[in-house]
Amino acid sequence: MICGMFSCFVLICIWELVGFNPANPLTQVLPPPSKFLPVLFESDFKIGLGSQSTSIYQSVFVTLFRVFAGMTIAFLAAIVCGMLISLSEWAELFILPVLGVIAPIAPIAWVPLALVVFGISNLTAIFIVFMGVFFTLTIATVAEIKRIPENLLITARNLAGNRFNVWRMVVMPAVLPSVFTLLRLNFIAAWMAVLAAEMTGLRDGLGSVVMTGRNLFNSNLILLGICIIGISGFAVDRLLLLIQRKFFWWKV
Amino acid sequence: MKLIEALPTVLSCRNLSKSFRGSHKQETVVLADINLEICKGTFVTILGQSGGGKSTLLKLLGGFLPSSSGKVLFNGHPLKGNTPDIGMIFQDHNLYPWMAVEQNVGFGFKIKGEKPGKYKHLVHEILDTVGLFHARKLYPHQLSGGMRQRVAIARSIVVKPTVLLLDEPFSALDVQLRRRLQEFLLALWSEMNTTMILVTHNVEEAILLGQNLVVVGDSPGRIVEEVQISDAQYRDRYHPDFLRLQRYLESVLEGTSKEQENGCCEEILAIPRIQRN
Ligand SMILES: Nc1ncnc2c1ncn2[C@@H]1O[C@H](COP(=O)(O)OP(=O)(O)OP(=O)(O)O)[C@@H](O)[C@H]1O
Ligand SMILES: [Mg+2]
Repeated sequence: MICGMFSCFVLICIWELVGFNPANPLTQVLPPPSKFLPVLFESDFKIGLGSQSTSIYQSVFVTLFRVFAGMTIAFLAAIVCGMLISLSEWAELFILPVLGVIAPIAPIAWVPLALVVFGISNLTAIFIVFMGVFFTLTIATVAEIKRIPENLLITARNLAGNRFNVWRMVVMPAVLPSVFTLLRLNFIAAWMAVLAAEMTGLRDGLGSVVMTGRNLFNSNLILLGICIIGISGFAVDRLLLLIQRKFFWWKV
Repeated sequence: MKLIEALPTVLSCRNLSKSFRGSHKQETVVLADINLEICKGTFVTILGQSGGGKSTLLKLLGGFLPSSSGKVLFNGHPLKGNTPDIGMIFQDHNLYPWMAVEQNVGFGFKIKGEKPGKYKHLVHEILDTVGLFHARKLYPHQLSGGMRQRVAIARSIVVKPTVLLLDEPFSALDVQLRRRLQEFLLALWSEMNTTMILVTHNVEEAILLGQNLVVVGDSPGRIVEEVQISDAQYRDRYHPDFLRLQRYLESVLEGTSKEQENGCCEEILAIPRIQRN
């Protein structure tokens, strides 16, 4: 953590040194933090022009909300669907291959379709995240259920567990950690897809901050947006890691 | 010592066989024609070589596996599937890693939907018996192998099964710990009224723990020897009788005993050999 912070600090220092000379053409496209950070304060944490401006908090919040809502729904749905599918061999034979075909579609590929179907709304973004994560997680859930040691299940049934309780108290906790790990790995893809949607169709969120900067030919704003995207993405990843360590720490 | 003959039979099997279908559709017979009578409250050890079908036999006795032919009778009724009255402890402890010791032990109640308040005192009592009360808040990965195995025993025994099946519960432990747990198991057995059937490939363990000792031979598995050892000298691993029996059983296991067919156990060792009709 400390080493990482040091590297970031060194990077910023080099950046500042390069950008110190205003005559350097690079400074125009890549203004250093000392140039673009004040933009935040000058504009009172608001971005955009006049009535169209939104506060930076709101942009961050909107994007995070979309990603989290999509991921939560996808996670829960994947666990439930995975369990349902592994209840029957027929479902595995018929449904799994279909999921296998849909899963590799990059979430970004869903952006145009979602924009057409759901229009410009939160639903679009949530749908994109969902599509990017759900299928992979469902397949993973089915695979993880197969991997549960037989004896854990036998013991539970032996102790007079009815089917439902065995699923709720043994199967589900047994698969949660590895499915959550996969969710964390898929977060980046979902995150990128939402930003892409915000840059192309949706009018708010972090992605649109960057696009506003582009439209106004304001490279300070572009870089500000990029930095916030990087930092919040990193923060979310850490948060997910924290959740994993706190709630889903075991290995089966 | 409990008198074995006077006790009612709790678990028995008649002409029990099991074969598995391997690859290329050929059947391998793992167990053939097993006949056993297990009396209530006794401690039976089943001795056999690795891969000889001991675990399979135990799973059949517990109703965890369907038999290929023959049947298992539990309290006089054919056993269909496993019941909570027959508990099983596996070769590996298989505790639930996401539950603390306390929750693992209480799991048998929880999965039946009972309220924690109702069974908590039972769990604490049994944890006290197995000497793990101080560790009740720890998780399985924080325990040593011996502690885990004790938790598994506590989990099975707390629901008071009539029969407890133990599949080499101590085979992964070192000698000292193994001996401590053997004593612990004997103490637990004499305290409770549970019938215990323990499977092992360790001759010493089989003699030390069992009142009835059953030797299962190799390919296909069938009962090759059955002795009754309830006298005190077989609880002392350095007693000459103990050592003699140990040597004899080792030779039976290896299949080198010439006397095996003649049933010389009685003549050599003066141990009652169980008669089959
Ligand atoms: N589900 C199964 N399908 C096919 N063959 C099996 C199955 N279970 C066991 N066997 C075979 O049955 C034989 C006996 O297995 P079993 O597990 O009962 O041996 P064991 O005596 O318990 O050995 P160990 O002491 O190593 O535990 C082995 O040859 C094994 O290959
Ligand atoms: Mg075995």
